[in-house]
Amino acid sequence: MAETRRASAGPTTYVLRVLVIAYLALLVAWPVVLVGTNAFANGTQAMVDVLADPDTVHALQLSAIAAVVATVINTVFGVTISMLLVRKEFPGKRVLSALIDLPLSVSPIVVGLALMLVYGGRNGWLGPTVEDWGLQVVFATPGIVLATAFVSLPLVIREVVPVLHELGTEQEQAAQSLGASGWQTFWRITLPSIKWAVIYGVVLTLARSLGEFGAVKVVSGNVLGETRTATLAVEERYLNFDQEGAYALAFLLASVSVLAILVVFVLRARGTRHRAFERQS
Amino acid sequence: MSIDVSGVNKRYGEFVALQDINLTLPTGQLTALLGPSGGGKTTLLRIIAGLETADSGSVVIEGVEATRLPVQKRNVGFVFQHYAAFKHLSVARNVAFGLEIRKKPKDEIRAKVDELLRLVHLDAFADRLPSQLSGGQRQRMALARALAIEPSVLLLDEPFGALDAKVRKELRDWLRRLHDEVHVTTVFVTHDQEEALEVADEIVVVNEGRVEQVGSPDQLYDAPANEFVMGFLGEVTVLGGVRLRPHDVEMTTAPVPGALEGRVVRALRVGFEVRVTVDVAGQDAPVTVVMTRTHARSLGLEPGTAVWLAPAEGATAVASATPAARPAPEAVAG
Repeated sequence: MAETRRASAGPTTYVLRVLVIAYLALLVAWPVVLVGTNAFANGTQAMVDVLADPDTVHALQLSAIAAVVATVINTVFGVTISMLLVRKEFPGKRVLSALIDLPLSVSPIVVGLALMLVYGGRNGWLGPTVEDWGLQVVFATPGIVLATAFVSLPLVIREVVPVLHELGTEQEQAAQSLGASGWQTFWRITLPSIKWAVIYGVVLTLARSLGEFGAVKVVSGNVLGETRTATLAVEERYLNFDQEGAYALAFLLASVSVLAILVVFVLRARGTRHRAFERQS
Repeated sequence: MSIDVSGVNKRYGEFVALQDINLTLPTGQLTALLGPSGGGKTTLLRIIAGLETADSGSVVIEGVEATRLPVQKRNVGFVFQHYAAFKHLSVARNVAFGLEIRKKPKDEIRAKVDELLRLVHLDAFADRLPSQLSGGQRQRMALARALAIEPSVLLLDEPFGALDAKVRKELRDWLRRLHDEVHVTTVFVTHDQEEALEVADEIVVVNEGRVEQVGSPDQLYDAPANEFVMGFLGEVTVLGGVRLRPHDVEMTTAPVPGALEGRVVRALRVGFEVRVTVDVAGQDAPVTVVMTRTHARSLGLEPGTAVWLAPAEGATAVASATPAARPAPEAVAG
């Protein structure tokens, strides 16, 4: 990013720049902008209609709840697993590390089907047992949370692990030599040092969770007003020729994600400045 | 006895880091663990601190059996080579850390921190972050932080290793003075023989996982136990099957009974001293002689001049185990 060498700005450079900008514009920027213009094609009427529909509001609330719960779970587990991966030696560590990337590479629809196999109410491997305890997983909020958490699992870990590596163990050892227990060392030294990484991870997880579609579609059952999330509602409206409504709702979802990315961008810039400052002298 | 290490062994896989270490360090003394990199001195220090565990053997600190005690319970102050400053805490909060963990009353902590910051001359920097300090200042902060918990022993791992030469020299003098003021039993690891000779009351030479010699700087320098200690503490040259210091070779331009004849190969001036390389008949490796500029001028040395070499009276000398045919190993300088 801090590339300041400008000596070789020949014709190739300009061609490459135009190509990259055109690629990004056609693939990302233009389509997203079009969602916005379509949403407001007839003024704010579509948006008002969407927000007046109690089922849609319920879908938005459900998405928000699932995203927040999944993010909390993934933050706690993510930080714990990161500490394990970086600070401890144990057999199977490489396997675990590879396994963590799995949710990024597997199609969400496969995740949904896999969860059905385990938690399915009638013939799932664990589902009937859990249902006997009075907890319905599949076709209910817990299933939606599970699917969302599965898909966004690696994001906190992938942010935190490199920072923990770079941090090293000396500060932690110093804290322990001064009498701090493992728990005190974590709260007073480790966590403040990885704070920014955790925050990026949380924002990314939240954005990814809000947008989850495939896995949730399988496990939620997509029941109107009950287990239909915002992304499922977008699809439903689109398939029912309510294009304006679909775009209005899509615009709402996209705005939250863009906002999240902006937050990350600002935090990252701050973090970089912060670190650059620390490296001085 | 403040620190008592007995029968300590440590392996990392196939690599033997420490081999049957027995060491007793009296209370209030400033001791240097001196040796080449990878010789095991840092491992030994970390075992005393409880940051590593020995495979076998025991560590007793101030009469308390500490072998099984975790680092938190040993009450040792540890200073790291790269400071290990808590980057998100101010200088004052860094120093206060150990006291906050011990849940001391707030005004007691403030008073203690003020006192320590004055001691390490950082009272003007209390509210700064470590990133706003120089390396030397950070290391002084780390020292104050370690001293805050009133440790029974203070352990320093290459404390000046990451600093530039001038600051290193200043801090070294300052550590000596600080120790005379505070009197806490102190052990520091260094690979710089000059640092050890200048600062320590006692030096423990550690090499290849073993203790080669323990003694005062004078004892080590004047009566090295073996070739290794002699070579590590200063430059060594071989003259007629005897290892001695280059400044302990006497040179004359006329034959002297018992002296070996040779020819000057070159004379190199380094500041106030002159390093003369002499080819001695019947010896493969040339002899290095160091003398003052004035002395060299009075001898009128030129390449090819015939000279006679003999060990000076009272010179520290160790019979060379290896034949004189091999070139004398260069002393390892910090």
